[in-house]
Formats: sequence, C-alpha cells, structure tokens
Amino acid sequence: MSELAHYVEVELVPGSRESRVPGGRTLKEIEADLKKPGKTLLGAITQAPGESDPFDVWLGPFYMGVFGLVGFVAAVCGAIFYLYEVVFHGPYLSYFSNFIAGSIIPPPPEAGLSFMVGPGNQGFVWLWVVGFATTAFICWLLREVEICNKLEIGYHVPISFGVVVSAWMTLQIFRPVLMGRWAEGFTLGVLPHLDWINLFGYRYFNFYFNIFHCLGITGLWTSTMVLGLHGSAILSGSQSRYGDEIDRVHQFWYDIVGYSIGELGIHKLATLLAAAAVLVSNLCVLFSGWIVMDWVSFWNWWVDMPLWVGM
Amino acid sequence: MAIKANPTTRFKVEDQDPYFDYPADTEIGYHGGRLGFANGGSSSFDVAETPILGPVFRFFGNTQLGPIHMGVMGWIAFICGGAAIFFWLFGMAMLVSYDPIKFAKNFFVLHVDPAPAHYMLWGFGGGLEEGGLWMITTILLTTGLYAWWFRIWSRARANGLKPYLAYGFASALFLYTAIYWVRPMLIGNWSEAPPHGFKGVLEWTNNISFRYGNFYYNPFHMQVIFCALGSTLLLSAHGATIWATAKYGSHEELEEIHEPGTGTERAQMFWRWTIGFNANAYSIHVWAFGFAFLFGVVGCIGITLTGTFIPDWPQWAQDASIIPPQNPPPNVYVPNPITNM
Repeated sequence: MSELAHYVEVELVPGSRESRVPGGRTLKEIEADLKKPGKTLLGAITQAPGESDPFDVWLGPFYMGVFGLVGFVAAVCGAIFYLYEVVFHGPYLSYFSNFIAGSIIPPPPEAGLSFMVGPGNQGFVWLWVVGFATTAFICWLLREVEICNKLEIGYHVPISFGVVVSAWMTLQIFRPVLMGRWAEGFTLGVLPHLDWINLFGYRYFNFYFNIFHCLGITGLWTSTMVLGLHGSAILSGSQSRYGDEIDRVHQFWYDIVGYSIGELGIHKLATLLAAAAVLVSNLCVLFSGWIVMDWVSFWNWWVDMPLWVGM
Repeated sequence: MAIKANPTTRFKVEDQDPYFDYPADTEIGYHGGRLGFANGGSSSFDVAETPILGPVFRFFGNTQLGPIHMGVMGWIAFICGGAAIFFWLFGMAMLVSYDPIKFAKNFFVLHVDPAPAHYMLWGFGGGLEEGGLWMITTILLTTGLYAWWFRIWSRARANGLKPYLAYGFASALFLYTAIYWVRPMLIGNWSEAPPHGFKGVLEWTNNISFRYGNFYYNPFHMQVIFCALGSTLLLSAHGATIWATAKYGSHEELEEIHEPGTGTERAQMFWRWTIGFNANAYSIHVWAFGFAFLFGVVGCIGITLTGTFIPDWPQWAQDASIIPPQNPPPNVYVPNPITNM
C-alpha cells in the first residue's frame, strides 16, 4: 500500500480492520453479535439496566423502543386525520386523484395562534396533523439516538435528521409563531403544497432574488453533484480488478482537479454540505414576511452603496 | 503478458494482482485498461507518436500543471472555458460602455442575451450586441464542457477505472444541452435559450415557468425536485452513517465493499433497525449514483417537452386529474362513493 492510500488518519477502535470478513457475514451472524438489550433512555431513567425496559424489543427487523411505540401511534393518528381529509373528502371521486389533489388548509388568519379550532372548522385537521407529525418526527429522532447507543456509534445520523426536522418546524411552527398566526403554515397535500410554495414565493415579490433561496438551491444542486461524484468514484474503484484501486481513485482526482479529499473527508463534506443546504433554506423562509417584506427591494443596499450611489 | 508494460505507467498492475489478465481487457475493447494508445494513457490521441506533431502534442498532452493533468482535452476545456468567460464578461462590459464602476455595480444584473425572437433560428442575430456574443459564448462554453467530459472519461481510463464519473457528468450535459441547444432548435427560436448572467438566468427560470403555465405542474419538474431533495437526503444519510461509524473503519469503503468489517455491519444494522432494510457498502453507492444521474435525465425530459409538445402544464395537470379544474363545472349532483349520498 502506497502513501496515497488512507492518508486521512483516524483513531480506529482496536480490532476493527481485523474484523473484516471476505464477502461479509450473514444478517443472522451480525445480529447475533450486535442485537443486545439495554442502553435505552428509559432503562437509564429507571436506573435498572437490561431487560427492565419493556419496550426494548425488535419487531421483525425494526427496533421499537418507547419512542418507536409513541412515534408509531402518533404517525398512525396523523395518517388517519390526513387520509380522512385528503383522500375520503377530496375534490374528486377517485381516491388516487384525491391523494394527489386533496388538501389540508391551516386555520384562517383570524384564529391567530389559537388551538380552539373545533371539528369541521378550517384548520382543525391541519393542527392535529402537524401536531402528530411533529411528535412522530421527534420520536423517530430519539429512536435513532437509542439505536446509535446500542450500536456504539456516533450521533451523526440523528443530528442530520434533526436538521431536516428543523426545516419542518421552521415552516410549520417557528415562523407561524413569530408571525402570530397558524395561517402562515403551509397547506398539506401533494399538489396543494406546491401551490403554497408557488404563492409564497411571489407573495414576497420574487423568491429567486432571495439570497438564502439562492444559496439553498445552490446547496441542493451541489449536494446532488457531490453525491454523483462520490457514488461514481466508489463504483469505479470497487469495480477495478487491480489491487491498488485506492491509489487509482486518488490519482484520478489529482489528475482532474488537483486534489483528492480522501475517504473520510468526503463523508464529512457530504454531511456538512447537505446540512448547510437545509439550514440556509430555513433562513430563506424564516426571514420572509417580517424581516424582509420584498426580496427585490431587499437589494437596495447594494444599489445604494457609497461607491456608486450616484451612478 | 500480451502487452508490454511501459515504464512511464504509474501502476504496475501485473506486479500487484496475480489474477490480472490482459486479454480480458482487450475483450471488452480496452488496451490494458487504457484507451486507444500504447504509451500508458497520458494523451487522447496516437498523434503523440508522430514525428512532426508529436513533440508539440507531447508538450500539451503530457504536461501536468501542478497536480492537474492537462492533456489535449484539458487544454481545450480550459482555453474554451476561459474564452467563454472572457466573451461573457466582454458582452456585459459592452452594455455599460466599459465603465468599471458601472460594471461592478451591475455585475449581477447585466446579462448577454441570445438573438431576439424575430431572428428565429439565425443564432448570430444582428451582430455582436444582438445575439452574436451570446452565440460565441455558448459555442465556447459547450465545447469546453464536452472537452471536460472527454477529459474525465479518458483520465478514468488512463488510471484503469471504469468512467462512472463521465457517465454521471453526461447526465448533467443532457440537461445543459437540452436547455441551450435542443429545445431552442426544436422550437425554432434562439430567444428561448437562457441568457448568460446571474439575474438573467434567474429571470429565465422564472419566466419559462410562467410562459408555459406553471412548472410546479410539470411532472418531470416534480421528479427533478424529488431527485434534488432525495440526493441531499441520501448524501446526508450516507455521509452521517459513515462518519458515525468511521472509528470502526467503515470509511475505507473500497476494502469494506469486498470485506465488510464491524463498521459496515454497524452501519447496516443501524438502517435495518431504523427503517426495516439496509443497503450494503456497494449498493448505497448505486443508489447515490442513480439519484444524481436521474436528476439530469429527468430534467432533460421535462425541459425538452416544455413549449415543444406541452404548451401549458396546468392544463396538462387538469386533464390528468391531478389538480381540480380552475373553472368549476356546473353544480351537478355527484354521490359520494362511500356514503352513496
């Protein structure tokens, strides 16, 4: 192995490389090693480790845990409300068309931030679906934390998932609360939420001139490109029949762009880039409507810079 | 050995892989894992061996600028790309009479437009100001991008790798070519192509959506958004999974694909226990490549159909019964299928 390979040094847990098995082990063998009770949050609270947590079980391939149970109940309840409104009371006769076209509208602006929206009124279903969905998302995140604890790995996936949940909560909770009315939340439904996005962009004149929207779109496209770069590099490297494919992949990137980020580096870049894209996109929505009313005249600060203000 | 190894070759493959078999490579059309020439794959043409052009081409074809390999296609790509940027900036400067302060002030606003609509398919329009500069810039840009494609393809081959990156970049080129060349020619008007400039591109994106109804009802646009958001999700999930398990060596993917160790096993168990199934160290990269690849392909389809075969996407969506009619039909009695009332 040359000096090019594995030049990103990581402190490995002893025995990690020695655990490699050509062709890999079966699921049964892996799970016999790793599927063990304990290390749950409920067990830590009750101070009785091990089997004392009644929810510390697997259902088929799924790990349940207390958060799995609560999250599943919340997801089912939310789905019942959602399907009732969208599919069974949609605009069309066909259930499929209703699934695409049906909508759940938030409460009217007059309702403000009130939860006192009765059944049958506009926004009743919306409030319940948003509440159940948020509960389910947070439970899913905590369930991932428990699985990370069981596997003794880092919390990177739950943290990244938390970034996505932050986008949902920014749109449906934080910004409506800051604006003082649930009506600011987005309409639920496959196509109606597209209509909402469309109208939302032009409500503040033009979202294309929203700098955070620009950066968010750039982040999404760059994420797609990086995904293609990494996927293609590993596919070509793993299909090489030479013994030194790592050197070859590094040399390929040196040839193309003069730089190779490395095996761990690309995954760090991936995690941070995707998170940054979503977090910047949060800002583009969060600032609209109370800090910035109009993303076209937002750029007056550029036009009025002292260097060229008279020109 | 069927082919003599060249001393300039970076990798002495025959020393490292006892199962390496040269004839298998010629069977699939490649020469020792290298493309089309016998000197170790540093150039794209055999012309490097010719007496007169040879020294010239060896100068261009064998040089490296720092760590970057140039090659003939590299030179074409960098020169054409640089020229495209020059003509773009030149065209924008012309609009402000070459005043540097005005140029800086309006840098994000200025754009070099394609020929006006009445010139139809005469791409050079009424001279440099009326589409000529746009056409020159676009031709140079396109040449540069295609040379870049060939460059990453031949560099992969020269390093003995299957050119997956070139396949992926081809997907992006499909989208680019559809937007800048195929669609304007199908419609028969260069004014349908995007201008060159920051605000110009944003406005073109905005306006094409309005001109053909609303792009949110374009099912291929929906799929492009799905691929972009899905790619970001996959990138985040994969990156975070490997980062989280890197202390077990899962980031050494090229080894772990063939010999999964405890790092990959933990990563797999994480997703199996979370979502009920898992990819493996190889297949997650097939998912990754596929999502990124589909982004360009689906976008290419969606943009090519717009204005050529589909004039109005909301009307299309209405006909497909995925949005309610904008003008409600007469109030006729239709029973609910569940309650029959």
